[in-house]
Amino acid sequence: MEIKNLTKKFGDFIAVDHMSLTIQEGEIFGLLGSNGAGKSTTINMISGLLKNNGGEIYILGKNIATHSKFAKMNIGIVPQDLAIYEDMTAYENVRFFAGLYGLRGTELRVRAEEALEFVGLSDKQKSYPKNFSGGMKRRLNIACAIAHRPKLIIMDEPTVGIDPQSRNYILNSVRKLNEMGCTIIYTSHYMEEVEELCTRIAIVDHGKVIAEGTKEQLTAIITDTKEIWVEVKTCEHIDEKSLKEIKGVNTVTIEENIIKIISQAEINNLNQIIQFFINHGLEIRSLQEQAPNLETVFLTLTGRNLRD
Amino acid sequence: MNIFNIAIMEFKRTIRDHRTLLFMLAFPIVLMLILGTALSNVFDNTIKIDKIHVLYTEKNDSHISSAFHTFIKDVKRENMYFSNTSASIDGKRAVKQDEYDAYVEITDQGIQFYGSERESMKSSIVEGMLTAFTDRYNLISNIAKEKPNKVQTVMASSGGSYVKETSLQADRAPGSMDYYAMAMTTMIAMYSAISASFLIRSERIRNTAIRLAVAPIRKMEIFLGKILGSIAINFVCILIVMAFSQFAFGANWGSNPGMVILILFTEVFLAVSFGLGISYMIKSDQGTRTIIMIILQLASFFGGAYFKIGNAQGFLKLIIDLSPINWAREALTKMIYNNDLTAALQTAALNVGIALVFLIAAITAFRKREGL
Repeated sequence: MEIKNLTKKFGDFIAVDHMSLTIQEGEIFGLLGSNGAGKSTTINMISGLLKNNGGEIYILGKNIATHSKFAKMNIGIVPQDLAIYEDMTAYENVRFFAGLYGLRGTELRVRAEEALEFVGLSDKQKSYPKNFSGGMKRRLNIACAIAHRPKLIIMDEPTVGIDPQSRNYILNSVRKLNEMGCTIIYTSHYMEEVEELCTRIAIVDHGKVIAEGTKEQLTAIITDTKEIWVEVKTCEHIDEKSLKEIKGVNTVTIEENIIKIISQAEINNLNQIIQFFINHGLEIRSLQEQAPNLETVFLTLTGRNLRD
Repeated sequence: MNIFNIAIMEFKRTIRDHRTLLFMLAFPIVLMLILGTALSNVFDNTIKIDKIHVLYTEKNDSHISSAFHTFIKDVKRENMYFSNTSASIDGKRAVKQDEYDAYVEITDQGIQFYGSERESMKSSIVEGMLTAFTDRYNLISNIAKEKPNKVQTVMASSGGSYVKETSLQADRAPGSMDYYAMAMTTMIAMYSAISASFLIRSERIRNTAIRLAVAPIRKMEIFLGKILGSIAINFVCILIVMAFSQFAFGANWGSNPGMVILILFTEVFLAVSFGLGISYMIKSDQGTRTIIMIILQLASFFGGAYFKIGNAQGFLKLIIDLSPINWAREALTKMIYNNDLTAALQTAALNVGIALVFLIAAITAFRKREGL
């Protein structure tokens, strides 16, 4: 899939700003961006839900503007929000949506059954989703997207709000689909999922791709910063503003009792940081310098946490 | 094929929505039963006349006496009973006190009649029969003077009857259950607008609009499939209500089932198009529902769904004429009771015409919108 100078405007607001991207066949491609970065708008344009104001999208070498049906036939979408009929059985759901792709008769039945088997819902074929757990509904949501055997599957946060067991099941399903030859575009708020699954990742901010590459390539970008994690006994009264005033400190984020500080690599400010905690009566339990990870990269490049 | 699949899905899902189904079936049937039974008197046009009691006095064996006694015997067959008063009874007072329906005095000068004001119907009948009697008496008296040999022939031809039954064939009219069967069926047909207003919107709320929109089918296939499914399920509900009213309550649906079905089908089409059109004109869910409910309630009230509004004039008549429930009910009444097929065809054409206006508005808005 190739995107060239893709643009989408909603009134004066530019949601996607001349975005260009190439995804190779057989990849699991991660799309990272905080809320409002332009991920969902991009996905909606690829899947044909929204019309672009500028640029071009090619699926398997064909422009979707002129080969809309071809593109749609080859795309399967797993929306962020569940898109299933609660008053139709699991089998009826998959069969109905697969039927829209021209499948009929025995082929339709077999494909629907295979899709349900793939997501582990074979024994729930005749059950209604209203009686399913969150994880089961998510799996049915995937089954509805894959029964017609698309070559490109777009998964928009497919693991939101589910139990770890279902999450693992879904992640394994993504890998299996990829092994079966599907190209996958994967978005998630869980950085570890993206790190674990994706062969290449693009970071999107303000409607633009600001970085793109493998995990290693992205972390290699961060050579001028370091990440220091300070674990304290309690961090109820931390003055983030004062901490950021220490020379070289770029960003400060607090997660439970851990204060994550990204600082310029060439400035040696560790003593001042430790002194800050002592002066503020904060008991340090541990202190370590982390190797840059995707989260560091994201934070450094966008200045925001992925979940913002 | 996609249109058909989407229509079947819509049909199936509505059947599984027990609340909607119960509303569409039970609500009109229960109302039909309650209103049809409670307001049955309003639709009853027959008047029952009980026995008529007449008091009379004869003075001095008048020449009319013999003929009058024959008359008394004859009218007994018509449930009219004459009682001769004794001197002590004041006949006029007896009538005033409602002891008798009329009082008659027979003298040499003729017959004097006093009718009851309370029992005006009965006294009018007595008066009419006495008039008939005196007319015949006078006729025979005159014939006896001129051609006595013809008297017997004239008397024989009358056969002793003073009542000639002439039936004026008024327009046949529906009974209460017939009326409410039509009123409730046409009303519930219009209620299809409520579910239709959520036809596309519910797909957006449920997010299934995304799956439908990304599928390799045309937007119009989705639109038509949804409409077709909605019309089909609502129409089946209407047919069930209609059949139930006929077999359970004996409602009269006439001898033109095809035309009845045509009117009801076009009304469902109108309701679905109206609901869908309004859903595209008003943005909020609640706003759409409120507007539709207000219009439906007004259309039901003024369309005579709850009670018959007769002889309306001026502005009230204008409002009544604007109710699709009124059009449909009136057309059905004219067709079933007067065999007036023209009214049915006009109503069907009107329904389809207005439905198309709403449908075109909805299609225009639907096509402009990105996604569904």
